[in-house]
Amino acid sequence: MPRPPLALLQGTLDVIVLKTLSWGPMHGYAIARWIQQVTDDALRVEEGSLYPALYRMENRGLVKAEWGLSENNRRAKYYRLTAAGKRQLVEESTSWSHFAHALGKILTATQQPA
Amino acid sequence: MDTEPKWRRYLRFWGADARADVDDELRFHMESRVAELIATGLTREQATREAQLRFGDVGDVTRTLHHLARERESTMHRTQWLEAIRQDLRFAARQLLRSPGFTTIAILTLALGIGANSAIFSVVYSVLLRPLPYAHADRLLDLRERNGAEDTQGMVVTTGNFGTWLERARSFDALGALSYGRYTLTGSGDPRALSALRVTAGYWNALYIPPALGRYFGPAEDAPGAPNVVVISHATWTSVFGGDSSIIGRAISLNGEPHTVVGVAASEYELTPSAPALITPMALTPADLAEHSDHELAVVGRVRQGVSTEAALAELTRIETELAREHPHGNFDGRILATAYRDKVLGPIRPLLLLLGASVALVLLIACGNVTNLLLARAAVRQREMAIRGALGAARSRIIAQLLVESVLLAAAGAVAGIAVAALGVRFLVSGDSLGVPRLQDASLNAPVLAFTAGLALLCGVVFGLVPALRASRTDLQSTLRASGNRGGGGVRERLRSALVVAEIAVALVLLTGAGLLVRSAMLLQQVPPGFSTDNIIVGGIALPQARYATDAAKAAAFAELVANAASVPGVEAAALVSRIPVGGRGYDCGVSVEGAASSATVDANVRSATPGFFSALGIPLLQGRTFAATDAVASPAVVTINASLAKRLFGGASAIGRRISNCVGGKDGAPFWREVVGVTGDLHARGLGEGVTDEVYFPNTQLVEGAMTLVVRGGVPVSGLVPSLRRVVAATDPQLALSSVRTMDEIMRNAMATPRFTTMLLLSLALTGLVLAAVGIYGVIAYLVTQREQEIGIRMALGARASSVVGMLVRQGLVLAVLGVAIGAMASVVATRSMASMLYGVTAHDPLTFGAVATLLVVVAVVASVVPARRATRLDPLAALRGASG
Repeated sequence: MPRPPLALLQGTLDVIVLKTLSWGPMHGYAIARWIQQVTDDALRVEEGSLYPALYRMENRGLVKAEWGLSENNRRAKYYRLTAAGKRQLVEESTSWSHFAHALGKILTATQQPA
Repeated sequence: MDTEPKWRRYLRFWGADARADVDDELRFHMESRVAELIATGLTREQATREAQLRFGDVGDVTRTLHHLARERESTMHRTQWLEAIRQDLRFAARQLLRSPGFTTIAILTLALGIGANSAIFSVVYSVLLRPLPYAHADRLLDLRERNGAEDTQGMVVTTGNFGTWLERARSFDALGALSYGRYTLTGSGDPRALSALRVTAGYWNALYIPPALGRYFGPAEDAPGAPNVVVISHATWTSVFGGDSSIIGRAISLNGEPHTVVGVAASEYELTPSAPALITPMALTPADLAEHSDHELAVVGRVRQGVSTEAALAELTRIETELAREHPHGNFDGRILATAYRDKVLGPIRPLLLLLGASVALVLLIACGNVTNLLLARAAVRQREMAIRGALGAARSRIIAQLLVESVLLAAAGAVAGIAVAALGVRFLVSGDSLGVPRLQDASLNAPVLAFTAGLALLCGVVFGLVPALRASRTDLQSTLRASGNRGGGGVRERLRSALVVAEIAVALVLLTGAGLLVRSAMLLQQVPPGFSTDNIIVGGIALPQARYATDAAKAAAFAELVANAASVPGVEAAALVSRIPVGGRGYDCGVSVEGAASSATVDANVRSATPGFFSALGIPLLQGRTFAATDAVASPAVVTINASLAKRLFGGASAIGRRISNCVGGKDGAPFWREVVGVTGDLHARGLGEGVTDEVYFPNTQLVEGAMTLVVRGGVPVSGLVPSLRRVVAATDPQLALSSVRTMDEIMRNAMATPRFTTMLLLSLALTGLVLAAVGIYGVIAYLVTQREQEIGIRMALGARASSVVGMLVRQGLVLAVLGVAIGAMASVVATRSMASMLYGVTAHDPLTFGAVATLLVVVAVVASVVPARRATRLDPLAALRGASG
């Protein structure tokens, strides 16, 4: 029996999207699919919530959108990271790994509190 | 599979469609997902349901995205718009820098126009537009009593009537009475004469501004017998007491009596720099409250909240009517003359400021006319540039916007330079402090004035930029590009430029006529003989404190001693005392009647009390009979002298000597007190040269005793050198006395003329500025004509035309413009100067001499301004000009 998907932590969607786009320009559907593949569906991202996140990041100048042609020759909106987006991704990754490291230490602790 | 309707693409051709983009993007997502799910073996129906499940609420997401997209678009528009403006500004600045001559002239012209306007506006704002500083200033009324139906000025109020108003009137929150006085301050350095306002406690309620320090005095402290208290003005506090806050509660010696300082009044009470230095309580004694014929108190009232002014005045009129019935001989008829306090304070200065404002606006009009002309000339030069830009696809609106940005930038630069002009102007205007214009000293370049300047600059930029911009953008592409480029817009543009110059000349004529009329008035005033000597005469006030000089005899003795001591100072030719000095001192008049006259009609005449030497000291000639002598003592027969004008009015051609007259002095409740006329003296303009000859009655100071007199000293040496000795003599007579407001008679005459002189000077400088600007305008147009007709002139010269005929031809053009402008301006002046009638002396508002002189001046200036560029045309090299024609 598959484990139920993990709920997404607030604010994590942005960093996931940034990471996804770090591979190169992608349209929204491709981003959704990539997240799904990488996490083996373990992270349930409601696909609809992806777009507001993308639009907000576009307004903040982290990503830039352009219309282009998809793999099957359809008009699709492609997103790519801007310089500001790349900087943001580095910052977020660092703080996430700090967080994960700290949390890991707590959860694997063997010493009981004094 | 392509489900997007094809027509959508055409929509996008006209610009991005944010909503459609959102819908397209989401549709692409759904369709891709459905296609993929179908590939895994689901039916289309199942796939669609699964896709929707994975996506979430489509409607909700769509709405959010629409909103976010719109947000993004508006930010984008704003940025684009700002970017366009920035580009236009940068381009405009480059264009302006490229022709520094044009830019400098335009900026200087605008700086003059905008700066002068800002300076005048700063005064108008400070004096007229700011609200009065008092709480509830809109409900304040100045209240006066009327004395007969033809009395439009009204009289100040009797003490008894004021007391009755206080007692009976219910529609006023506060009623305050005030009169003026003088105190000698001793014990704080040299004795010093200080002007004072004597007020009832209600004054502070009516005209309330929180005190700078301490408190004001209350109802118990203006009662008879209350301890002496005083409030000092803010200026006195800083200048006399060094801003020492420990002054509160201390006693200062005024007229030899200790007065406790209870407060320092707010500085806003000082509307002019000569505002009273002290404010003391006015105690109304039972005797004062029973006095219903002596008009002494200025009264200000604050109408009760919720009561209309009409209702309050109706109530007061009812009370006044009762009083008039009870006291039929009190010189009041039961009616109240009320003026809004604001009009009372600011009314007299309003016409002057409006005149200045209008004049300075006219100067700006001329300046704008000039800049418009400059821009039109530039537009002609830049026609090719515009045509090329148009050909390259610039929209007409874009070109107009660009040119407007340029003219507004020009105006902004003019405004910045204008602020420097305004700063100088304000400093000059405020230096006219002695004019007694309320709140003039507060004028400065504050935020409202700067906002006015900015608004004016924007307005000017658009106004003078719009017509040239519209014209420049309307160039005929083909013809311009085909032409050699040295030919301007031709007839239309030339006509417009000429019309502008005609208008400038007309406006300049209006300004010059106004100034000319004032100058003529001033010249005529200079020639009026005052009727007394002003040479080498010095005057100063002396007030005897009532406490030390209680009786008439004591006062008379002290004054006699003072005159004798002053006369003994080396260098003094004559010394005398008079109750009010002509021109310099405010007097009062009352009706004079003749004994045995058939009619009871009276003639109003000024009342003055004087020592025997007064007439010779001030150089007033004796025409008949005698002046006063030492024998005209208290108990001697009552005598007066009158001036020739009054003698003529009372007695016609008959001799006045020996006849008996009576006025308000000495008679109680209308009963006449007859005095014999012993002399007739020369006429004088006691209210100033601009006013007519006044009627005068003089009393010996022994028979009309006043506590405050003016010392009049004629010197055999320059009088300013006498002042220290005179002060010593006064102090030697009584150390508690001091000479106040010492001035030469010349100064008094100059001060009386200060306002007209200041107005004349200001209007004259504005008019001359206008003249210079108009001359520059004419010069510009003729110079432009010369460049336009270079080839024609060259041909004429080559064919043998004489230089003089070419100059004549061009000057004639300037002359036509000037004559047209003068004709239009003369018509406008007739209307405009009518409003100045009250400021003129000896000339009518349409004085032909002034009009003629001004018109001639303008025509001459126009001719000169045309000759200069015209002569340059004759020095052109005909060959070069002809070559230009073939190019």
